Amino acid sequence: MSTIAVAARGRAPWRPRLGRHRGLIVACIVFLVLFFAVDLITPGAFSYFELHFMSAGGATLALAAMGQTIVILTGGFDLSTGAVISLVNVVLATSMGTSAFSQVAFFWAAILIGALAGAFNGFFVAFVRMQSIVVTLATMFIVQGLTLLVLEKPGGTIAPGFTAFFSGDAIPHLLPAPVVVLVVAAVVWLLVKNSRFGVGIYAVGSDEEAAFAAGIRARVVKFWAYVLSGIFYGAAGAFISAQTGSGDPLVGQPMLLEVFVAVVLGGTLLGGGRGGCIGSIVGSYILMIIVNILLVLNVSAYFSSVAEGAILLLAVLAASLNRRSPIAFYIRLARDKLAARARGALASAHPSHGAAPQLPTPPAGKPAAVSWFARHREGLGMIVPAYVGFVIVLLASQAVFGNTLTNPGYFDSLLVLSSFLAILALGQGAAILTGGLDLSVPWMIGFIGILTAGLIRGSDAVALWAVPLGLVLGAALGAVNGLGIVLLGLPPIVMTLAMNGILQGAALLYCNGTPSGFASSAQRWFMTGHFAGPRPVVWFLAAFVIFSVVLLNRTVFGRRIYAVGNSPLVARLSAVGVGGTLIGVYALSGFCSALVGVLLSGFSGQASLGMGDDYLLPSIAVVVVGGTLITGGRGHYIGMLGGVLLLTALSTLLEGTTLPSATRDIIFGLVLLGAVLALREKRA
Amino acid sequence: MRWISTAFVAAMGLGLFAAQHPAEAAQQKYKIFLSMSYIGNDWQAEAANMVKAMAASKDYRDKVDLKVQVAGPNATRQIQQINAMVQQGAQAIVVYPISPTALNEVVRNACARHVVIIAYDAEITEPCAYNVHIDQLEAGRVPAEWLVKKLDGKGNIVVITGVPGTSVDTQRTAAAKAVFAKYPGIHIISEGVGMWSQAVARTVLTKILTTHPWNEISGFWVQVGCYTIASMEKEAGIPDNQLKPCAGEGSNGHRIQMLAIGAPGVEGAHGTYRPMGEPSISYASPPYSGALALKLAVDVLEGQQVPKFTKLPLPIVTNETVKLCKEGTWQEMEQGCNVFQPAIISNPGWFASIYSAETPETGLQAALNGKPER
Repeated sequence: MSTIAVAARGRAPWRPRLGRHRGLIVACIVFLVLFFAVDLITPGAFSYFELHFMSAGGATLALAAMGQTIVILTGGFDLSTGAVISLVNVVLATSMGTSAFSQVAFFWAAILIGALAGAFNGFFVAFVRMQSIVVTLATMFIVQGLTLLVLEKPGGTIAPGFTAFFSGDAIPHLLPAPVVVLVVAAVVWLLVKNSRFGVGIYAVGSDEEAAFAAGIRARVVKFWAYVLSGIFYGAAGAFISAQTGSGDPLVGQPMLLEVFVAVVLGGTLLGGGRGGCIGSIVGSYILMIIVNILLVLNVSAYFSSVAEGAILLLAVLAASLNRRSPIAFYIRLARDKLAARARGALASAHPSHGAAPQLPTPPAGKPAAVSWFARHREGLGMIVPAYVGFVIVLLASQAVFGNTLTNPGYFDSLLVLSSFLAILALGQGAAILTGGLDLSVPWMIGFIGILTAGLIRGSDAVALWAVPLGLVLGAALGAVNGLGIVLLGLPPIVMTLAMNGILQGAALLYCNGTPSGFASSAQRWFMTGHFAGPRPVVWFLAAFVIFSVVLLNRTVFGRRIYAVGNSPLVARLSAVGVGGTLIGVYALSGFCSALVGVLLSGFSGQASLGMGDDYLLPSIAVVVVGGTLITGGRGHYIGMLGGVLLLTALSTLLEGTTLPSATRDIIFGLVLLGAVLALREKRA
Repeated sequence: MRWISTAFVAAMGLGLFAAQHPAEAAQQKYKIFLSMSYIGNDWQAEAANMVKAMAASKDYRDKVDLKVQVAGPNATRQIQQINAMVQQGAQAIVVYPISPTALNEVVRNACARHVVIIAYDAEITEPCAYNVHIDQLEAGRVPAEWLVKKLDGKGNIVVITGVPGTSVDTQRTAAAKAVFAKYPGIHIISEGVGMWSQAVARTVLTKILTTHPWNEISGFWVQVGCYTIASMEKEAGIPDNQLKPCAGEGSNGHRIQMLAIGAPGVEGAHGTYRPMGEPSISYASPPYSGALALKLAVDVLEGQQVPKFTKLPLPIVTNETVKLCKEGTWQEMEQGCNVFQPAIISNPGWFASIYSAETPETGLQAALNGKPER
């Protein structure tokens, strides 16, 4: 406390103000450096044409990132961003006429659609008190389904006037329209930010309890924050419609990850309370200008994801590297330790008595019996909903197909398919329990799968050492994630996303674009053969579940994970090695992904590029559906397993039908939402 | 911070240096860019190899200065990328379009600046762009008709589609369903979303089989997955001569399985990657389309007349026409071989439809390693 006061007195008055905007300032500098680098190399002077296309290029991402920022400022997470943009895009492309009235009307329709989607999210997050990540995941599926119902394949047209207005020239040869759009968006944000509502957003995101105590109507603020973010998505949807002049039901979805990265690059803290939309605009343009950088440097295709990951890391590092950054802290710590050792003043060198706390003697007689249910009520409350959902889906499958509950083959297949997600759930779950996320799952699976299959090439003898090698490598690469997060203080989302890109490049380079390996016969038997009834992997899954439960609940490491997730500071003060725990968690996640890579290549018989792509969102979804708090500290592996069973059974049920995929998406989203309705947070 | 900016500027400087060198060496080269979408799948990587091989071949290496860039799955990034290529002075841009419609505005812009835009495999609907691809309706219809004929117009079939929301998937599936609708005896009992991936096809079929056992299914119409389906039939203990008809993809594994049982000269077969006489038709969206697009781009730049739409012949291989290649040279493929030794192609999911009469520069080595035939 006193050091802070002293420091503040010793500095110029503008320093703290500058410090608060550090993220934004660094983002601006990074952008300017990249921009001038591109400009330097590009032949010819910077022209109006370039200004125009650059401003148009990043505008959709910037608008979307602004919406996402508002949600993140309240401490939430919005996965429906891309889906809402697609929905707006297809509605405009299919319904807009060429009259001026229609064009204006449909601009407002775009805003309205966004606001409605936001209100849907906001209602469940603010008033029903559900976790934002689950609500928005459900919304994502529902909106995706609606989008496909509106337009099943790319098509439709946007009136040329609409295109000209938003992505043309505001003042020909002087001011491109996208710049005006962004300025208007920025002004809207600044007005909001300086209003009572804006203060509320920051307050709620910093500490909801404190905000409530201070008289802020936290729920109402949250609700309107989601609506406002939806309005920005609507604007993004309108802009991309103008920019592309047509509709494509898949246009928004791939933007999701980039939106998050743009927000983080812009200096907004995941978890809420700090940052702002202006930074996110800059972050979006940094991401877009990377495309130009890769082009002018002629980075080869296989290296592009690596280069992108590296640029991302450098940009975020630049924002965080200073005397107070974790690496400096660890260096000081190591120096102090060495000095203490030299002086013989280490804690262990002090003579001490073993702690012998005096416990009160228990009262005589038997303690009042507390039932098992009463003691575990809270834990069960998190775990049970997923299983209730699972049973309902099982009954529904029985009703639809009539041959599931009595069919051992059904459960055998269900468990085999569940095994991948159940394994990933341990790693991803542990990362989420510490308040992080592991986005390197897809290409950790892909890289290790391709590498091990490439070494094994069908030989059981090689598999004996290649599989352990792959698993160790996965754990080591995971530990690198952890090191980056701990030593460099990088946000987990950034570190693991960069790792994902680097591993993608590594996989492509290793196999030169064509993975040639295939699994050994033992690997295939493990996944598709039979052992004492079910397939061998089912027995393995049973052992893995026991291992996971013991690891998370009965070991020191497990307890430390929860401690770090509840509060890293309290954990540190309680002598928990926070850094070591985090590194261990990401190593565990890397190990789990590597294991899935090996199992998947056994399941398919070969490894292929992109084999892990479909596992990222489900791995997060099952953890959260299983009752785990996305902000960390609360959750149980048994619950996550319930989430795995529920989602696998549901997709099995839907896959067996001939429903169009639009309807399936909507059903999936609704069931997801229904399953976790019971999980809503009770008022503390 | 400062060291980072210094590092960046230094890196830029190096890039500048490297970029200028080859440009000085040959002034007359056409500056052509390749904008790929997502590179993380087998088809894309193979197609990219073939484009690179074409650019490195004898006739083109002195004409073409090719730079390859990846846009990822995000259409807005591809828009930015194409714009940046135009800015860099591209004369032609070969594109794997992420979206058939989203690029229209930027393509129109590029055309206005006299840049040749040519899309391969998928389509760009903007009229000024050149397109090189197969007829997707035909690709849906022909295999469906084959399947109906094979089943004598009656039976329960399972459909495995591609990526929902794409034009290619929608057109193929609609065309196939239109065929099936004409035969009241044909019932689609289940429809899985296969995402054009063998790995996903296996997951999806495992799910389908939990509710529709093998004996309920008489045949398959899939966009990718016949190889996986035959493998799963073997795991379920179905003998070779009772394999179910499968109308599907042009993967090497699938075509090997279509060879008659005991076909001579097959090297390196193992597991289910072996001749088993699977009754099948194999069609493909051929990965040579990018290489051909590059060739056509040069033709346009040289002032030749090129039609706006080059319709590629739909590669169709049936049990009667499937034929093993020994080495996979272009000459050999011209003689009619269309499937490669498992000893050379150890990945059965690899796409085998690489022959085109128009591209003698690219053979098997082009698709595998980016090495031209000559």
